[in-house]
Amino acid sequence: MSGAERSVPTSADIVVTGLGAVTAYGWGVDPLWDGLREGAGAIAPFSRFDATRHRTRLAAQVPPSPAGARYERRSSFADRFAVESVREALRMAGLEGAASGPMTGVFFGSSTGGMLESERYYERLLHDPRHRARPGLLASQQLNGPGDAVAREIGAQGPSETFSSACASGAIAIGAALRALRRGEVDLAVAGASDALCQLTYAGFNALRSVDERPSRPFRADRAGLSIGEGAGVLVLERRARALSRGARVLATVAGEAATCDAFHMTAPQPQGHGAARAMRLALEDAGATPAEVDFVNAHGTGTPLNDAAEAAALQAVFGDRVPAIPVTSTKASIGHLLGSAGAVEALVTVMCLVRREVHPMPPAGDPDAALGLDLVLGRHRPLRRAGCALSTSLAFGGANAALVLRHDEAA
Amino acid sequence: MSPRVVVTGLGAVGPHGVGREALAAAFARGEPLASAVDRSEGFHDGAGSRLAAAVGAADLGAWLPPSQARRLGKPSRWAVAASRMALAEAGLADLQGKRAAVFLATAFGAVHYTEKLVRQLLDEGPEAAQPFYFSECVANAAAGQVAIALGASGANVTVTQREAGPLIALARGAQEVGEGRADVAIVGSADEMTPLLHAILDRYRATTRAEGESPRPFDRDRDGMLAGEGATMLVLEREADATARGASPLARIAGSASAFDPTATPSDWGDGADGLGRRLRVMRETLGPIDAIVSGASGTRRGDRLEALVLRSGWDGGALPPVLVPKAVVGEYAGGVLSGGLLALAGASFGPVAGFRSPDPELLVMPHDGSRFPRPARILASSLAAGGAAAWAVLERA
Repeated sequence: MSGAERSVPTSADIVVTGLGAVTAYGWGVDPLWDGLREGAGAIAPFSRFDATRHRTRLAAQVPPSPAGARYERRSSFADRFAVESVREALRMAGLEGAASGPMTGVFFGSSTGGMLESERYYERLLHDPRHRARPGLLASQQLNGPGDAVAREIGAQGPSETFSSACASGAIAIGAALRALRRGEVDLAVAGASDALCQLTYAGFNALRSVDERPSRPFRADRAGLSIGEGAGVLVLERRARALSRGARVLATVAGEAATCDAFHMTAPQPQGHGAARAMRLALEDAGATPAEVDFVNAHGTGTPLNDAAEAAALQAVFGDRVPAIPVTSTKASIGHLLGSAGAVEALVTVMCLVRREVHPMPPAGDPDAALGLDLVLGRHRPLRRAGCALSTSLAFGGANAALVLRHDEAA
Repeated sequence: MSPRVVVTGLGAVGPHGVGREALAAAFARGEPLASAVDRSEGFHDGAGSRLAAAVGAADLGAWLPPSQARRLGKPSRWAVAASRMALAEAGLADLQGKRAAVFLATAFGAVHYTEKLVRQLLDEGPEAAQPFYFSECVANAAAGQVAIALGASGANVTVTQREAGPLIALARGAQEVGEGRADVAIVGSADEMTPLLHAILDRYRATTRAEGESPRPFDRDRDGMLAGEGATMLVLEREADATARGASPLARIAGSASAFDPTATPSDWGDGADGLGRRLRVMRETLGPIDAIVSGASGTRRGDRLEALVLRSGWDGGALPPVLVPKAVVGEYAGGVLSGGLLALAGASFGPVAGFRSPDPELLVMPHDGSRFPRPARILASSLAAGGAAAWAVLERA
């Protein structure tokens, strides 16, 4: 932070050198990419808790952890997703066992941390207030649980900061990492987010009537809500010069970020998407890019009637006449809404799209909502003639918006 | 170099009541602001702690009409009221035309509504879940409500890093303003202490069970903190902007840093005093003399130990300036480091820590004894979090 800087590099060129993910498609980036590309969707009946009395019965649940994976005692599902993701990301970056120290920072997001474990603890306590339920069960309930677990795992001694701005948490965490690298606060930033299924969010979104009984269909005429998912996404970020000097493979550039607030309503987006559009414009400005350079958008795209309409309005405001020519996809259509970690996993997927020069599809069900005027990537992946620059958006409860601009890297 | 950033307003709702005068008076007395916790649900251990630094029937009417308050959870109410208080002191009646960001820290979020919702689910089933509880139980509810109430359309960021959160929010908010992404940042913290959360902290043995439950930071026999609640909110601006409109800054943010101690466990403090101390030393050497330390020590065994060792390491074993411990008065989670730091710079007096009896020979750090000391020109605010995070800020008279 300010006041105690070392010699600050002026290069704003921050690159991605490692990725790690845990999603309903499995433990790893490869199963995620293969699943997305295949386009079948991973939203299905699930078993993490009993959903029989809930209004809806589907979610995108992460399969059991890999055999032999070791975690800290008492770690929550969210912690494990986070730790496994960072292990993969550091392996990919060639930094396994070599990421510790005071110039490594962890910037993480989570909206509920270990809430699932807290619910179990509370259930025991309510059943018998005198019960000596071990509070140790709650150790990882805290929202900083997954980020702290990651920092301990890698031995980070630089800033370790957790953000919990609902569904924008992951994108805000990546934005914070980008700035810390630009300022020279850290040489290496592990940025990401993790969230696990829990009854609180499942019932809460259902109470708001925001969950679709079928798998969610973002931007489709018959869309009826979101599908809830779980998982984690982690990106390893560093300055280009450092990545090149250690011979790392550069996957993409994190070119810009911005966050804004609708200051309008706790759960409903500002209908014209004013706040979201400002976030997109500011992120492009931060990246030194123009809307004309954007080759595709990984939209927030929850599948709720209001969100998708507001987001489409924001895209119209930013891209104007170009909107019909910009492919739009929503990762949530396949792996559900990962809430706090959605922005992190979607940034990671956007990097993969740039690396592979194609936009992953959404499952094909449902006709596009013609009123939104978007070019949706449905059913089949879309090769990109030009894979230069992409936008990933996150729009959250409380009106918190965040946008990230990612650039293709020739070296990738 | 980024423009300098100053604090132009402070608002606080806490166990002291409402506003900074009552808070300054409480710090001057040095007595913990403790009151009885509702133990009727039976969650508490029979031998456990009975007191918390709770917000009483604070009259927020001047800052938040009851018709608005009734739709908000407590942390949101307190944060909105404290933000308005801070803006009034800053002389910013409204934020029209200003890009205003919100950086708000919370350790546990809106616990009361979270409990209510989980309880509905567990007692009656998911059909009983009330949507209002859900939208107000997200961790960023208070930050969102502050933005809505004030029309703050800049970045809206909720920091959840336990005890280190308030200083991280301060630092990141200052950067938002200093680097020109916002004209104003409303930064601070908001937390509430429900009976259940209190009982859980007590089961962890995090809260003091000593006679009178007066927390004893740095004392040889300290056995825990006083759990507290409240909201402390600050208004930050670029110094040039504040000067141009004739505002009188309360403090300038001279610098900040944060770090992590990987030896910590998920629920406790670690042994990484060397690493954290090195980071603090770099900052101190860059920024020059510090006249007082506003410590986040709260009376916990391992937290205070680490704090003391880090401070001594940060000072290379040399003599420390007066060490003020505001959490001995307002408890943990009420934003005491932020408000204590600003009031110390304003020349407020800090009474002797009521519960302090005997120094800890291992720590060699004692809380300020209540004697008068020169009004500091520059203070260090320090907060080490359970779980490993650490944050510091240096504030100076503007």
